[in-house]
Parts: sequence; structure tokens; C-alpha cells
Amino acid sequence: MLLAAVDYYRPDTLAEAVEALDSTEGARPLAGGQSLISILKLRAASVDLLVDISRLEDLRAIAVADDGSVRIGAGVTYDEMAMSPDLHRSHPRLSQVAAHTVDAQVRNRGTFGGNLCHNDPINNFPPVAVALEATMHVTGKDGDRDIAAADFFTGYFTNALSSDEILTGVTLPALNGRHMGYQEIEIGEAAARAVAVVATSNGNIESASVALGCLPIPVRRPQVEEALAGTPATADAVAEATAAAGEGIEPLSDADASADYRQAMASVVAKRAVMEAIEGGQNG
Amino acid sequence: MTAPAKEQTTTTTWTGQSLPRKEDERLLKAQGSFVDDEGMYRQGYAQFVRSPYAHAKILSVDVSKAEALPGVIATLTGDEVKAMTEPLFQFAPKEDGSQVNEYLLGVDIARYQGEGVALVLAETRGIAADAADLVEVEYEPLPVVTDGVAAAEPDAYVLHDSLGDNIAWKGLFDWGDIDWALENADHILKIDKLHFHRYSSTPIECNAVIVNWDPGTDMIRVVSNNQFPMFGALVIGPSMGVGTDQFDFVSQDIGGGFGIKINSYTSIGVLALLSRKAGRPVKWIETRTEHHQSGGHGNERTFLDIEVPVMADGTMLGFKMRAFDDAGAYLHYEPLGAVIWSQVVPGPYKFKHVQVDYTETLTNKCPAVPNRGYSRMQHLWFVERVIDLVAQELELDPVEVRKLNYVQPEDYPYTTPNGCVYDSGDLPQALDMVLEMIDYEGAKKLKADREGSGKRIGIGIGTTLDSGTNNFGQSRILNPELPFSGNGEACTALLDLYGEVMLKLGTNPQGQGHETTASQVAADILGMSPETIRVWTGFDKSHSTYIGFSGTYASQFAVTGINAVIGAVEKLKAEIIEVAAYAFEVEQDQVELVNGDARIIGNPEAAIPFIGIANMVFANNATLPHEMAERVSLTCRHVYVPPFELPDVEKKYGNLTLTYSTQTHAAVVEVDEETGKVEILDYAVVDDCGKRINPMVVEGQVHGATGLGIGAALKETFEYDEDGQLLNSNFLFYHAATAMDVPNIKTSHIESPSPFTGTGAKGMGEGGGAPLHTISAAIQNAIGPGKAIVSDSHNPPERVWRMLNWDGPAEERGVTVVSNGDGA
Ligand SMILES: Cc1cc2nc3c(=O)[nH]c(=O)nc-3n(C[C@H](O)[C@H](O)[C@H](O)COP(=O)(O)OP(=O)(O)OC[C@H]3O[C@@H](n4cnc5c(N)ncnc54)[C@H](O)[C@@H]3O)c2cc1C
Repeated sequence: MLLAAVDYYRPDTLAEAVEALDSTEGARPLAGGQSLISILKLRAASVDLLVDISRLEDLRAIAVADDGSVRIGAGVTYDEMAMSPDLHRSHPRLSQVAAHTVDAQVRNRGTFGGNLCHNDPINNFPPVAVALEATMHVTGKDGDRDIAAADFFTGYFTNALSSDEILTGVTLPALNGRHMGYQEIEIGEAAARAVAVVATSNGNIESASVALGCLPIPVRRPQVEEALAGTPATADAVAEATAAAGEGIEPLSDADASADYRQAMASVVAKRAVMEAIEGGQNG
Repeated sequence: MTAPAKEQTTTTTWTGQSLPRKEDERLLKAQGSFVDDEGMYRQGYAQFVRSPYAHAKILSVDVSKAEALPGVIATLTGDEVKAMTEPLFQFAPKEDGSQVNEYLLGVDIARYQGEGVALVLAETRGIAADAADLVEVEYEPLPVVTDGVAAAEPDAYVLHDSLGDNIAWKGLFDWGDIDWALENADHILKIDKLHFHRYSSTPIECNAVIVNWDPGTDMIRVVSNNQFPMFGALVIGPSMGVGTDQFDFVSQDIGGGFGIKINSYTSIGVLALLSRKAGRPVKWIETRTEHHQSGGHGNERTFLDIEVPVMADGTMLGFKMRAFDDAGAYLHYEPLGAVIWSQVVPGPYKFKHVQVDYTETLTNKCPAVPNRGYSRMQHLWFVERVIDLVAQELELDPVEVRKLNYVQPEDYPYTTPNGCVYDSGDLPQALDMVLEMIDYEGAKKLKADREGSGKRIGIGIGTTLDSGTNNFGQSRILNPELPFSGNGEACTALLDLYGEVMLKLGTNPQGQGHETTASQVAADILGMSPETIRVWTGFDKSHSTYIGFSGTYASQFAVTGINAVIGAVEKLKAEIIEVAAYAFEVEQDQVELVNGDARIIGNPEAAIPFIGIANMVFANNATLPHEMAERVSLTCRHVYVPPFELPDVEKKYGNLTLTYSTQTHAAVVEVDEETGKVEILDYAVVDDCGKRINPMVVEGQVHGATGLGIGAALKETFEYDEDGQLLNSNFLFYHAATAMDVPNIKTSHIESPSPFTGTGAKGMGEGGGAPLHTISAAIQNAIGPGKAIVSDSHNPPERVWRMLNWDGPAEERGVTVVSNGDGA
């Protein structure tokens, strides 16, 4: 389908962007456009003004802090994430995920911030942010605020931002010797996904953070995490600890797979993500 | 005459060589011309307004807001179409004359999601899209029928009042003596249900039409990618009240057809009406969403209450079943599918007793239309599923059971229970070859080794047939009154003014390489290089040659098209030789054609180039006897007509197709026990399509058909929810197979020439859906006996996972074996 008529504005500064969003009814930030434009073309949503934030300098940097944490600008593309030597050192598995997200065309335009804000259940990064306990940095008409990743996602395609607010960047805590596993089951698109961040020592799991994606709100699995802490880092122990990972989640049913299947697969991907993190010293 | 010169004549045989395709250069350099590359002066852009409901009364259509939008040229509604046209021709009305009444646009009731109910024409595509949004249609939703079996129930909600029920066609096919077979078999295998799913080969180019109804000449020029325009003209002409002589159909390059693009005739018709109303050319480029919702889907078929009489050694005597074909909301080309499957009743096997209680129903879904493997593939999948289950349930070797039941090489020509004649083949050899290609013994060892690892290995075989050059007389089995039979194709071969050789075909190919293969066979006849022969690109009814069957569909060019070329070029050769012999003052049998010259045999010095022949006929004709000058035109048309007779419509018996290619596939798959995901580890194909005119073109067709079949087996499906909403209306949700999904395909071939085609060639483009059979069998093999059976042609991870985890009671497996003597 074709786009309906829509106004377009590309501000030079973050302040102007916020001002435009605040003062115009029906204004929406436009980042890489890889989701928003498709939705507008399907005429499934209507927007009066697109405020193009994709070239705002404030949103474009990847910066590693002294404590090893890394701040990724919301406007950084997947391709830039994949090519960043800093991110490759600090969060190698995330860099790899970015490098394999969709295809080159989408990677050249799709942004880390857009991916998180859009919160499509198929999107790669929401469960990563939750598993890593990322901090989301936001600017709006009332100034700046930070939101914990766990509080950022509010439902299908929705987030905690108000209409004048822009996600400017995301800080990922340092891994500090932990490793990240990222596993999914794809049926055309991802049908189940889990991210695990695991610390091991002497063949035992010290701590684990496990989050599930492909859900309206990516969720941590505290019971699984507790069960994992202190167990031997073996396939059997991990299988037992993650067996109930899907309990209580409510995935969607669609033409690709039913909710029941996705729920069952949640434990499979959780187990595989934890095992990947354990085995993945070389990947990170 | 002098002794033969040492120079050799016609040393090269072009037929049979893998010449690079003439078409590829322009296609690879983006110099092809597709509909959207074309335009007409002052064209407007059309946009359909489509029903969001699967079934709803159309209470009102208000176009006033749309017409008021600046840039809008015209609108057209269903009521207007109803007033100006007649309902479309139906192949098989019921005996009392009741039938589906379909107009070129939805009238009164919308019967599937995406059905067109109005049209707008505007100066730009953008304005047309905006204007379509402004058309206000008031709907009143009606009950929705989405199940092709339930649709036949007496209490089902009826889609078409004019038909009286949802039964498009119903008939009993009964050959041999199934009751005898069931009584005398050692075992009867009973299968509750098998289901062949709905999908499409999703051509990369959607439907596209530019049409101008010229007010001055009353000619309707249609630039489109329709692949069977003659059929379209025959159906829409009477509905629109126009002669077929008014249509000029034009197409150059077409981005895939697969049968699906037969279906655009209704769009062509209604867009022509819009052009007439607006007095402007109309351009319409279908979007992907429109294509998925309304462009046409392949047939979905459900097989119920299957009974298979089998002897203890695995000899299958036949089967009995009920089949329900879901035609969707309207009958586009259907119900031809209700009989086309009977070209391959026993598949590649010899059993003789078959009874099929067949019903085609109407549902609130997109119309089913031919799709690569049309109607036979569904049946062949069924036959392969049955033979595989026979082997599994009787604990027999699937290879041996196939070999035991195959039509054997010495049996050809082999007459099937319903009178079809299988022309040639060597199935046991093909099976041996394909098993060697996948290292069958190694695969069995791998399967044993992997046991308990969480990854199971499955090995599957799929034998299939591609029946080509069909006898349209089979349509009379649906309706004895139908004035259709036989088949054929036309070609005109000519010399142009300076003696250039040119061929005009009746076909409009979509990548099948007709320009290349036609020039190869012509080159051999004329003794020249294919490069020097121009095959007119594309089709244009105003100058191409055609008959009613002309088009590119149903695996037949290698037989009908090529034989038309041969016939026309032979006639041209005879004329060239006649003129040359006159000029040389020798007998005609003293003249040969070599490299574009007519020569006296054995005397290369005595040569007249084709330019000289052309000159005499076209521009220097006082040099010829007057009689010859008027008779010889160097423009020679030939219509090839395959040798068919009318079938016996009572017995549903007769030869329905001329050729039968065989395709034998084998796969080794790995099934992930935790997820149900299937990965293909190895895949091999042995194709036997008789004499191959261009092996590389054949290879391309094998790859294409295999890729589409693998996609269908594992990824591609059209699913509707209970409200009749299509859940896969674009490529985000319809997972078309990509290069990532199709493994390296190992190919090999046998050439069993057809005795019926002159050249020995057979049609093979559709491919018989073998990957569906093969992958179903491989998954079954991975799951193993005693568990759930693979009862669907589409096996995405969840379905496989459910089969792996199935632990119901044995009687609910969906298959039972009753042994005669056990009191069956
Ligand atoms: C064919 C295809 C396949 C895809 N498959 C996948 C996949 O497998 N996995 C995956 O993760 N993604 C996938 N995507 C989606 C892609 O990753 C999108 O790029 C992403 O969802 C949105 O990012 P964007 O920068 O393009 O945002 P846009 O499309 O520009 O915006 C998306 C939404 O976020 C809002 N927004 C964007 N940036 C901000 C911001 N900084 N502050 C506040 N609001 C903001 C916009 O207003 C809009 O509502 C696919 C896309 C395509 C086209």
C-alpha cells in the first residue's frame, strides 16, 4: 500500500524535537522507519507529523564508561552496533545479535532505540535490555529522566514514554565476567526467545539473569534464576532449573504457532540461553 | 552430381544442448519489460475497494466523497457492473441450471476477505489509495464458512443462493472393483483423514494490468501478466458483451506465474469496464496484500475415511476414500480441479481398484486457482502418504513396497484404471539412483547413531508424476455439454524481408525459456545456429499466432509448443527449398539448408543465402512462376494437435494427458525433538522427462519446483481464522521459502523418451509436488511407528512437535490395520 499524506520535520536539536512532539497533536518520532513506515503504509495507524530524530547527534554515539558500562545512543543503527569495536569488547554477544538482525537493509536503518520503543514481540532487543538490567535515558518537555528496563515496556507496541518524550540512549551495565546467551526459535519470525546473563565459578552457577522475549512485555524469571544460582553448570542441572521457565507467561497465538507451543518453547530457549552463556566464554 | 564434398553438413545438433538462455541477458541486466515498466498516454491508476469481511451483505456503496477528492477520475461499483454485464460463464451448472452467479465485481454480497466491491481511478496511485479509503461501504456481516468439509453439510450456511447449497461439483469415480479388493485383501489399512493444505507459489511479481478501451476503435488493449489470456477472453468476453476480436492481449516478461496468474481475468474485465467509463487507460498494480487475499490460492483438499486393501507382501490393490476440495468463494477455473487429479489416479503404481467420492465445495475464502502441480499434486501426495503408511504399518521396507507396486519399465505404455496411458519411464532405476545420491545406507546408519541424541533422523522418499499436455475433453466429465476437447498450440515460422528467420509462438512464458528451446529445435531443422533465429519476445494477440489453448500453463510447451515450432519450421524449410530448387533448376531433394544458405547437396559453391530466397518471394517475384509466387509466402503457420479422443464421460474413462514425466525425490532430515524443527540434511532428485531439449532449462525447472515444494512442506501456508480473516496476507506472515531454506539439491536424470510426442520430450515444469510427499515421509520416518501419523502436507515445528509428543491411545493414531480373517 501507499503512505497517506503526512507532514515531516527534521529538527536539528533534541530540544526542537521535543518541542515539536509536545506542541503538535498526532506527532511521532521517526527513527529508522523500519516499523513505523510499514505500519503507516498498511494504513494501520495514522500520524500527522513525523519528527525525524534519526540524525540527532545526541542520539548517535556508543560510549564506554570507566566502570565498563556502555551507553548506546537510541539512534545508533544495528549495523553501527555490529561494527563497533567497543561494543564488541564490552558486550560481544549483543554485537553479534545486532550483526544478524534481519538483513542488511534493515540493519542500515533500524535503530536500537526504535527497536526498544516499538516493542514488537518479535523484536530482538527488549529482552536483552531486561536481562541486562539496562537503564533507559529519556528526555521530554519536563527534562531528563531514567527508566529501568523492567519498567519501560508496558504492552504490545507500547512503552512508558509520554508523547513528548524521546528515548535518547540506553546504558548497559558491564558484564564483569558474566556471559550472555541469546537463543530463539524462528518460525518465519521469532516465536520464542530467551536471554540469559550468567556468572559461573568453579563449575557452578553463581548468578543468572533470565528474561523471555516474544511477549507483550519481556519478563524476568526470578524463580528460574533462584533455581539456577548455586547449581552445577551442567546440562542436567540447567534443564531442571529452567523446566518451568514458561510458567505463567501468556504468549500470543498466531498462524505460526499457538500460545501453548510458545509457552513450552520458553523453557527450551531459556535452557539453551543459559547453556550458551555457560559454554560461551569464547562468545561472551 | 559430383561426389560429396569433404565439408560436413549439419554436424551440430542443437536440440539436447544446455545452451544458455536467450532470455537471460535482458533479464539479468534489468532490461526485461514487465507490466509496471509500461504505461499508456493519459493513464489513470486504479485502486480496488475490498471487503474487510469474509462474508457480508453490501448494504450500500457511497462513492461521493471519493469522487469529490481532487485528482479522482472515476469510480465503479458492483451495481454498475451488474447493470452492464452478465454473470461469468460457469463450467458445470447443476442439472437444474442452478449455478454460482459471479460478476466481475462483488455485487450484493462480499464472499471473501479482499473481494473487490468498488473501484476508483485517479491521476496518481497515491490519490487512488486515498480515494479508496473515502468510499463508504455499509456491510452487514453474515455467518462465515471456512471449512471445506463442513461446507457440504446440509445445515451449512449457503454462500450462493443461486446455487442452493455450497456444492460446486460432486461425483463418484469408481474404477475396477473396490468391494472385491476390500474383501479379498489380506489387510485393510484405514486412515481417518489426510489433509493437503492451502498455499501458493506466490509469484514475485503480483498481478498487473494496463487496459485501454479505445473509444474510437472499440478495441480493448490489455497489457498484463495473465498467463492464459485466451481462457480469460473466452470467459470475460461474453460477460462483458464484447467479441474476443476486440481484445488485444499483450505481455512481454512475466515475473512468475505458476498457474496463479490465470486468475487475473476478472480483474482485467472490470478494469476494462472502468476504462470505458472513464475514457482513459487504466493501470493497476496489485499489492502483495491484495495478491495474498484475492490473487488466488492453490487447492486445499481433505481426504476422509480412507480404506486401502493390501496383500501381505505389500501389494496395494487400490483405495477408497472421500475427497473434499475447497474452491473458496467463486469458481475460477474450477471445478476443473475436480477432474484434473484423475490424470494420475494410481500415481506411479499399478493398483487397479479405486473409488473416490469427490465433492468440491464453496467457502468464504479466496478462490482456489491452478497452482504449480495443480490438482494432481494433492492427489499424488495422498497416494504417497498411503503407500508410506502401508509400509510402516505392515512393517515393510518403504523402498521394497514402492518397487513392488511401481509400474515397471516393461509395462509401458501402461493403461491406468481410468484409461490414462502412461507413456514411458523407469521408476525402479530412478529410485535406486536417488537412494544412492543420498547415501541411503549411510543415512540409515546416521539415523541409528543419532538415536537418543535429541535429534532424530528421518529418511523420506517421494515418487511423483507430472502429467502434461492435457486433453481438455476431460472437462466433459464435469459437464457433458461442454464444448471443449483436445489441446494444441500454434507457431508461425517466417523469413523476414532480408531472409532473417523468425518464430512467433502462441505462448507467453514466465521464465520457462521458450525463446531458447524453440530456437534450438528450429536451428536443427534449418541447419543454422540458434543465435541467428529470432523468437519474437512475449505475446501480442494482434501479431502473434494462437489458438484457444494458447498460453503457458500445465507442463506442455515441450510437447505442444515445440511440436508447433517443428511443424511450422518444417513448412518453412519446404518453401525455402522449393524456391531454391526452382532457382537452381534441380529437384527439391537435391537441395539442403546449411548455415543460412540453400545449397545443392554436395556443392557448397552453389548456394543461395536466405536473403536471396526472401528477395525472390518478397521483392522480386516476377522471377518466380506466378503460381509459386502467390502460393509460397515464407510465412508458415502450424498448429500441433495431440492425438486425443473424447473420454467416456459415464465411466469417467479415457486418456486425459499425453505425457507423464516421473520425478523421484529423497531426503534426509533432522528433527529437533525439543522444538519440532525440521532441517533438511540431504536432498536429491532424479527427473525423467524423456528427451530433454535443453537440460539446463529442465534443471532450472527441477530446482524451482523443488524449492517451492520444500517451502510448502515446511513454511508456506494460508491460514484463516474462524471469521475468515487471512492470517498470512503479506510476506511477514507468509513465509515464502528463500535461498536460506532450500538446501543444495542434488540432481540427476533418466531419459525415457515418450513414444507419443515425436521428439520424445515430455512436459515437466510443474513438478508434481514431490518435496511435499518426500518431506512428509521423512518426518514420518523420524517419528517412527506406533506414534501419530503425518496427516497434513504442511509440517511447521509445532505440528511436528505435537506428533513427537503424542501419547494418545492407539485407536486415535488415525490409522488402523484390519486383517481379513480377523473378522474385518
Ligand atoms: C522485513 C523486516 C523484518 C524485521 N524483522 C525483525 C526482527 O526479526 N527482529 C527485530 O528486532 N526487528 C525486526 N524488524 C523491525 C526493525 O528492527 C525495526 O527497525 C524496529 O522495530 C524499529 O526501529 P526503527 O529505528 O526503524 O524505528 P521506527 O520504525 O522509526 O519507529 C518505531 C516506533 O518507535 C518510535 N520511536 C523510535 N525511536 C524512538 C525514540 N528514540 N524515542 C521514542 N520513540 C521512538 C517511533 O515513533 C515508532 O512508534 C524488522 C523490520 C523489517 C522491515
